[in-house]
Amino acid sequence: MNRSSRSVAKFPPEIEDVFREFRTCETTTLARDGTPITWPTLPFWRPDEGHFMITTSIGLAQKVFNVRREPRVSLLFSNPTASGLENPPAVLVQGDAEAPDEIVTSIEGFEDELRKVYRRQPASRVYSSNLLLRYLMDWYCMRLVIHVTPRRILWWPGGEFWQEPLELEMDCVA
Amino acid sequence: MWPEIRKHLYQFDSAVLTGLDAGGYPFSVRCRPYPDKSGDGVLMLALPAGTPVRPGPASLLCHKHDENLWNLKSFLVRGSLGHDVGGWSFEPIRFVPGVGIGGLPAIMRFFTSSRRNAARYLEKRGLARPRIPWDEINAVKDEVFSAPDR
Repeated sequence: MNRSSRSVAKFPPEIEDVFREFRTCETTTLARDGTPITWPTLPFWRPDEGHFMITTSIGLAQKVFNVRREPRVSLLFSNPTASGLENPPAVLVQGDAEAPDEIVTSIEGFEDELRKVYRRQPASRVYSSNLLLRYLMDWYCMRLVIHVTPRRILWWPGGEFWQEPLELEMDCVA
Repeated sequence: MWPEIRKHLYQFDSAVLTGLDAGGYPFSVRCRPYPDKSGDGVLMLALPAGTPVRPGPASLLCHKHDENLWNLKSFLVRGSLGHDVGGWSFEPIRFVPGVGIGGLPAIMRFFTSSRRNAARYLEKRGLARPRIPWDEINAVKDEVFSAPDR
């Protein structure tokens, strides 16, 4: 990195707040031609495991294909809408991702994340509300899991990208 | 492509620019793209000094949602990032609409193509269409929406 970032040894609570409360992050994977492709996703930080979990449907699997070919990814947390946080930092996580070729339909082990989705996106309950929608939407519930292990975490206090970012020493990550 | 970019870009306060850093990892920052004065289909970018992206393949994402994570809108522009004495520029190559763009026809295309992609994914692996445990999903849903302090 050309830009000099200041190094911080302790995992600041405001960073965990962002990981926990932001509704979306901007997830980037690399296309076959090397173009970074960024889409908003729902991130789930699992501190005990030291990684983020993202899921996608097998009907929207391009980011999984990208990860299997090229594991270098990034997650930018820069949209605080609905987070309830005041003046939060913007956080960039650069990491390595893996995406096993295993289709998950069971909610076992994902109950907390499913509860969180319903609480945060109440309109999503319509997808399983009747037989027709269940038939039309079953593909959406056939999920592929992406795990992102952080290799570098930078943040901009107050989301001010004009400031020099701070950088976390990675042995602080669980 | 350019009319679509003009139509949608300025509905957003900022965009997420992503390029690659020296280590080959994606690096994203928020910025406010503005059109090149020449009007030749290039966006100019004011990036903080020292932003470690390299000229080359890049993309711009705009997205938003409301307090209930609904009324989603997003689009991506694939392109090429350049840097010279005039500063940073972004040459769009392809406009990729996301959710909330294109109205009902786009929604129908999204669902039919996603369903078709899913069938193809299963077919390539010789897998039967898995059963979705709707009862378990609905049990969690009922738990969440019946909670008094939701």
